[in-house]
Amino acid sequence: MRYVAAVSVFILALAGYVINRTAGQAPAAESNDAVEKIIVPYVNKHCVQCHGPKKKNASLALHIYTDEKAILKDRKRWIEVIRMLSAGEMPPEKQPRPDVNDTDKFLKTIHAIFTEADAKGPRDPGRVTMRRLNRAEYNNTIRDLIGVDFKPAEDFPADDVGHGFDNIGDVLTVSPVLMERYLAAAETITQQAIIGGELPKPSTRTVSARFTEPSVPNPDKVGKFRPITKTKSPLNTLYNLTQDGQFKARIRGYGQQLGAEPVKIALTIDGKEVKVFDVPTNDPMNPQALEIRLELKKGAHRMAAVLLNEFKDPDGPAERTFFLEMLQLEGPLDTRPASHKKIMAHQDGLSTRDAVPEILERFATKAYRRPATKAEIDRLANLVHHAEKNGEKTEAGIQLAMQAILCSPKFLFRVELDHRPDSKDAHPIDEYQLASRLSYFLWSTMPDDELFGLAEKKQLHANLEAQVKRMLADPKSYALVENFAAQWLQLRLLKSHAPDSTLFPDFDDGLRNAMIRETELFFQAIIKEDRSVLDLLDSNFTFMNGRLAAHYGIADTNGNRVGQKEIVKAGTPFVQGRTGKFGGKFGGKGGGRSSSEFVRVTFADDERGGILTHASILTLTSNPTRTNPVKRGKWVLEQILGTPPPPPPPNVPELEEKGELKGTLRERFEQHRKNPSCANCHAKLDPMGFAFENFNAIGKFRTKEGDAPIDVSGILPGGQKFNGPKELRKILLDKKDVFARALTEKMLTYAIGRGLEYYDKKHVDHIEAALAKNEYRFSRLVVEITQSDPFRMRRGKDQKND
Amino acid sequence: MTNLLSRRTVLKGLGASIALPWLEAMGPLKAFANQSPGGNRVPRRMAFVYVPNGKNMADWTPSADGTEFTLPRILEPLSEVREYLNVLTGLTADKARPNGDGPGDHARAMGAFLTGAQPRKTDGTDIRAGVSVDQVAASRIGEQTRLASLEIGCDPSAMAGNCDSGYSCVYSSTISWRSATTPVPKLNNPRLIFERLFSTGSDSDRARRERNRRSILDHVREDAASLQPNLSGNDQRRLDEYLTSIRDIEQRIARAARLPEPPRPNMAQPEGIPTGHEEHIRLLCDLLVLAFQADITRVSTFVFANEGSNRPYPFIDVREGHHDLSHHGNDSAKMQKIATINRFHVTQFAYMLGRMKNIREGDGTLLDNCMIAYGSGNSDGNRHNHDDLPVLLVGRGSGTIRTGRHVRYARNTPLNNLWLSMLDRMGTSVEVLGDSTGRLGNLA
Repeated sequence: MRYVAAVSVFILALAGYVINRTAGQAPAAESNDAVEKIIVPYVNKHCVQCHGPKKKNASLALHIYTDEKAILKDRKRWIEVIRMLSAGEMPPEKQPRPDVNDTDKFLKTIHAIFTEADAKGPRDPGRVTMRRLNRAEYNNTIRDLIGVDFKPAEDFPADDVGHGFDNIGDVLTVSPVLMERYLAAAETITQQAIIGGELPKPSTRTVSARFTEPSVPNPDKVGKFRPITKTKSPLNTLYNLTQDGQFKARIRGYGQQLGAEPVKIALTIDGKEVKVFDVPTNDPMNPQALEIRLELKKGAHRMAAVLLNEFKDPDGPAERTFFLEMLQLEGPLDTRPASHKKIMAHQDGLSTRDAVPEILERFATKAYRRPATKAEIDRLANLVHHAEKNGEKTEAGIQLAMQAILCSPKFLFRVELDHRPDSKDAHPIDEYQLASRLSYFLWSTMPDDELFGLAEKKQLHANLEAQVKRMLADPKSYALVENFAAQWLQLRLLKSHAPDSTLFPDFDDGLRNAMIRETELFFQAIIKEDRSVLDLLDSNFTFMNGRLAAHYGIADTNGNRVGQKEIVKAGTPFVQGRTGKFGGKFGGKGGGRSSSEFVRVTFADDERGGILTHASILTLTSNPTRTNPVKRGKWVLEQILGTPPPPPPPNVPELEEKGELKGTLRERFEQHRKNPSCANCHAKLDPMGFAFENFNAIGKFRTKEGDAPIDVSGILPGGQKFNGPKELRKILLDKKDVFARALTEKMLTYAIGRGLEYYDKKHVDHIEAALAKNEYRFSRLVVEITQSDPFRMRRGKDQKND
Repeated sequence: MTNLLSRRTVLKGLGASIALPWLEAMGPLKAFANQSPGGNRVPRRMAFVYVPNGKNMADWTPSADGTEFTLPRILEPLSEVREYLNVLTGLTADKARPNGDGPGDHARAMGAFLTGAQPRKTDGTDIRAGVSVDQVAASRIGEQTRLASLEIGCDPSAMAGNCDSGYSCVYSSTISWRSATTPVPKLNNPRLIFERLFSTGSDSDRARRERNRRSILDHVREDAASLQPNLSGNDQRRLDEYLTSIRDIEQRIARAARLPEPPRPNMAQPEGIPTGHEEHIRLLCDLLVLAFQADITRVSTFVFANEGSNRPYPFIDVREGHHDLSHHGNDSAKMQKIATINRFHVTQFAYMLGRMKNIREGDGTLLDNCMIAYGSGNSDGNRHNHDDLPVLLVGRGSGTIRTGRHVRYARNTPLNNLWLSMLDRMGTSVEVLGDSTGRLGNLA
């Protein structure tokens, strides 16, 4: 009985909550009047026996709250009271139940008090605990700071998760194991970034004369030297360069002089003369290397040795000759990697040693994400000198200083010191901190030069919207797909999900990855095309490769189905997956898409649409051996509607053995739900999950389960009927404000790195309203979040810290 | 250290097997030994092995008490080490019960197992449990070995989602707590564990690296100190954790300089995480045995799978997820499958114990000098009850534990009493840990 009441109250509370928000305003409360007339009598009747002057169970005494001010002062406790009451956990089982209407009025009154207080109270942007970089952020930051993309954080222990995300300040701890990994990573990174010891020697490419062009039919039969006697018959070779740089080009050989002039040989690049040499020697034992240093650009270049002054003996067969031994190209002479050059760059004319402060200032400023102070630079310079004293090169000293920077809390944490510590009220965070919040929110990495530049000029707060739009358009915003969407939709669970291989022999990593990719590309399209977030609930397009198309039974990019008559004009056909069963018109004879490439597909029917019918979601909400409608229903309630179901009661009673449970999964669940202790919770969970029973445990469409046809109808609490996922999607679209709110809350949590509290409610209200006014466009949601108090501001000195 | 055998001698003495004989003539033994209680020369070790989702207790609890009992189906793989084994029945983790907090038995089961503390119900902010028994020991005797303790497991922290009814994922993936608010993450990559146990690289490389690390640690400690006055509340705590980690590493470097090098194992460095689950567990078992054998640490925890793990075990014909099955609703087919998984885990445990039994140490074996607890914070996975917990204690604690028995305790005897008794034998006694009410009787 207790759970009937609990769920009724919960549903009423939910309904009330929804109604309140849809109406847009809370009913105004004559606050102290309401406390006197509704709160106090209720508390006296139902609570004070255990939570009053005589007994103070759980240290809670409710009789002391006689006016609104007292209730607001202890708001956190009253939030607990509401929660317990709504979930039916209070009054406890053995006590008499209050009348449902009384409880409802009680709850509404308290809500009204809170809502009014929120509307009138001072700004409270909340507090977020200093956030440690998580693994993805560390990898990306190193990539952008140093220019080396080798993901050192793969060796770090996994980040702990809170509120569904791995970037929550309160949850990301530091342990000795992690600290060790930071030290080891810093060593490896700095060794790759700059070369602390001997620079590697430049590479040299030598082409022996016998292999130069014009080529000879039997190079091995040719001697070490090839003669050049005619100006119009040079010997040459082609070099393919992968980077620009300084090179040394060489011709090695000796001359056979004739007449007055020495042998004159020219080195040409791409036909242009670069240098002319007088060949000094006639000794085959002593061929000379004639060398010139020159700049070359990336690409293919032809180097040639050209005889300039051919001469024939008027009296005999002898000719002035150059005997070529080899052509050589050495370089690029600067073997420092690009990252080295970038980090070590300094003012012309300074020695490396003298440039140390400049180098350190630039690197530390970028790493700390705000200007480095002179004291910090001096201390870092000491590290460099310390290394030099131990006999190391300056570069090795810089490596040491870089390691100290990369292990410093100023790098590892996003430190947000108050730049106006005496300010009593909430005030904006400083410009550099805003730059970091933006870049880690949208890109999961450090700010770029443009954001730093604006922060330096104190113009970032003022240009927030324009910057957000720029950042969303930048490819780095894919981080929102990889980190926000993947966690919000729980896609990461799919990586380790293991459907039973005997029941689903089709499922393998290729299919798994294709499923994940579909959802990633879909979310990315929402960002790129600035679509309405409601497209997530239902849409007429998605992305597939050949493998996934075969899984879905889709034949071409216009959504026609395999083996069925065309519904619309055919698009580009898919080459069907591995088995190649689908030959003929849609088969693999060419003109189709390769199996692994992803393309946009428009649906021709509404069997699928939106993420709820993505194979990824359908699979991760299933068991390894069968579908799990309860899990699917729970997923929809939690991730899509933000209304998680009440947890199961502590003692789920034993189910009596009533003989074999027969029928489809749904029919068997019906028999379970006839048990009243279970039924009322499951009335909320099951219908949504059962609507998707047409999709099996790996998201494939089916009309039968075993032999029995599948029934996909359902009734939601509140009485709405639906038949199948198409209709359920429409119902969800009707709940768009509930969805928008859930998405807002999740994204705001991700953006600010803390769970939401009661003082965030009015900001969520505001964002939700703005989103609705702007056709629910994705960019609007992001812009509003970045402009909200919790994102942009910090608490003042006098504001409570809870 | 004049009697130290040279490293080369030790290496030459290594045979083809991994089993490294404990050579009493080796200097390290003398250097460590005087810290053990009773002047015993060989150090004692303690380890805690955790398995999730409870057991099929009908196939676990022996029917007879005392020494004449038959090993039920799940425990049968332990028959080779029976004389080292104690099956302890009736212990309770009261702090894993709801006690007013509502659902969340998986989070609490693991969170309370080694701590005896009620985990705070929170989804991310203010996580709190209690200090765990292994970390109590590590904090006292850790400085005698290269590593104060070793925490390993097969699963990383959970990757997404609420883990259990409003409890942060930390609780169901972490068994060791250094303080009430500092969970100790476990390593699951054999390559990294190996690196942690044995330093790699040449001697001169190592000297340079240690010297550099000390400079870096000094520098960043100053960085942290300069930040501290400007921070408050939770930020301070974060920085404290950071400073504690720095201090920890500095102490380890100092210890490493003081202690002799551990002998090189006759084992190639593992490449990473094996694809097969059984292989993964076995490799981690090997590394734990190695760590104890080479006396790199004397305290360890090993989590076979996180609480609530829904892993299927297809290679033993169990294709459904473990957690799903544990909600068996008294379906006997499901209960049998649970027992199969339980037995699989015990088989891996038996493998580890078998290796320890075959390593000679002093007058006996490594297993003689160990105390290894094995169990779960849930009893029956369907009922989620936390009394009558499945607990084993294997090893003789250097003669301080009488083994080969099935011992029954009075209802609601705190599990933490066992931990107190183990701490006594490590020479790190405390009077109270979590919800302990005294030592556990009937062990000696």
